Amino acid sequence: MKYSYYPGCSLHTTAKEFDMSTKVVMRELGIELEELQDWSCCGGSVAAGVSHDVGMAMAARNVALAQKQNLDLLASCSGCYNKSARAAKALENETEKQKITAILSDMGISISDSNIRVRNVVDVLANDLDLTSYIQRPLNGLKVACYYGCLLTRPADIAGWDSPIFPMSMDRLAQACGAEVVDFRSKTKCCGGPILVSKQEVAFELTKQLLDEAQSLGADCIVLACPLCATNLELRQPEIEKKYSVSYQLPILYITELIGLALGLKPGKLGLNKHIVSTQSVLAKLGI
Amino acid sequence: MTGKTRKCFFGLKVDRQLDGDKMNRTFVDRVMTEGGEGVAIAACMQCGTCSGGCTNIDRMDLSPRTLVLMVQRGEWDKVLQSQSLWLCTSCYICTSRCPRGVRPSDVIEAVKAIAIRQGIENDSTRFNQIFVELIQKRGILFEPELMQKYGGISAMLEQAELGIKLALKGKMSPFPAKIQDPTTFSQALEKAAQS
Repeated sequence: MKYSYYPGCSLHTTAKEFDMSTKVVMRELGIELEELQDWSCCGGSVAAGVSHDVGMAMAARNVALAQKQNLDLLASCSGCYNKSARAAKALENETEKQKITAILSDMGISISDSNIRVRNVVDVLANDLDLTSYIQRPLNGLKVACYYGCLLTRPADIAGWDSPIFPMSMDRLAQACGAEVVDFRSKTKCCGGPILVSKQEVAFELTKQLLDEAQSLGADCIVLACPLCATNLELRQPEIEKKYSVSYQLPILYITELIGLALGLKPGKLGLNKHIVSTQSVLAKLGI
Repeated sequence: MTGKTRKCFFGLKVDRQLDGDKMNRTFVDRVMTEGGEGVAIAACMQCGTCSGGCTNIDRMDLSPRTLVLMVQRGEWDKVLQSQSLWLCTSCYICTSRCPRGVRPSDVIEAVKAIAIRQGIENDSTRFNQIFVELIQKRGILFEPELMQKYGGISAMLEQAELGIKLALKGKMSPFPAKIQDPTTFSQALEKAAQS
């Protein structure tokens, strides 16, 4: 199987380990990735709230480029995935399609009728193959909290491959890796990502609730698939610890890093040394 | 505006009830034009499921349910002045749970865009506009520039420690990335924003 791979802005910067681990894990599983040529930002959760048409066109541009490569689009980042899938769905509506086509044609990009699908890496890993036969190093004894956040599985008419309220795909992937999954009730509660800068205090409160629950469940790490969630949960973790006088030092891993470890890949190749909150405790627990 | 709150039997507040003859189609249509055909405001039956699951309901001045009601009734000033617009994290819980297909998150998204066009100004509108402007500029977001434009030198200094850590890990470049033809990209989006 081959996909046009859309890394998005974050995977080339703050979420480099998500990019690295996606690439090596997919190669290991025999899935080919061809980077989407000349991709642009999807506009995130913000752009369509400034102008609907601008937001849709930003996201649809990448869908049109994937059509040109004639490959299903694969995004690791939940946000890139969600906005691309939303644009692909909008293209099924005549009025939306006309508006988007006009803007893209001003960019010199055309939309074809080629029906490509937009997929997320979690969807592909959980639903297209059986991971158990690839496991080289079971993650026995590791307790993980799987955090889905909002854009990975919502809304159902855009994602639709797992429950929008209580999904299980990542939990099952982690179990297939041999890890123990804790019953993380807040797994789809929003971390406040899109308002992280403009309403920082609120975003910190929302994120703190997630860290508190994961810690109280005794999780060794949180596993996720969204760079914006990771920005809140990991990059801002030291600030949250300071603000509320608490201590977490809770490693935040991308699902592909967790799977990579179970596939027997070297931590350095997966980017585990690129974290701001050290992942050493996870590796120590696994004896790596 | 309906003026002061009138109460009827059992303490029900009349101005919070859905009432067919108070529906204002002009406003509903305006939100639908901005947000696309997927938004089904008129179908709302005020069940409150959206508010029940909302991430930030505790902090909002108008609940998502009330916001949709205000849009239905054309109480435009209340809607545009509401802080709820900027507390919404677009997490789609409301949209996933709505039994009527209203898509409250898309309603709020459309109202936000209209509010910005009407000149509502606060930290959130400023951040959102800078965010979009910077994507339009190069096609790819450059985060240090976003922080600098939004928060100025003080924000840069505040984030300097994290920035250095990220740079040392090879996760933050001092140079912005861009797409092949940012000029055409930018012009097309500029034109779309104005139409």
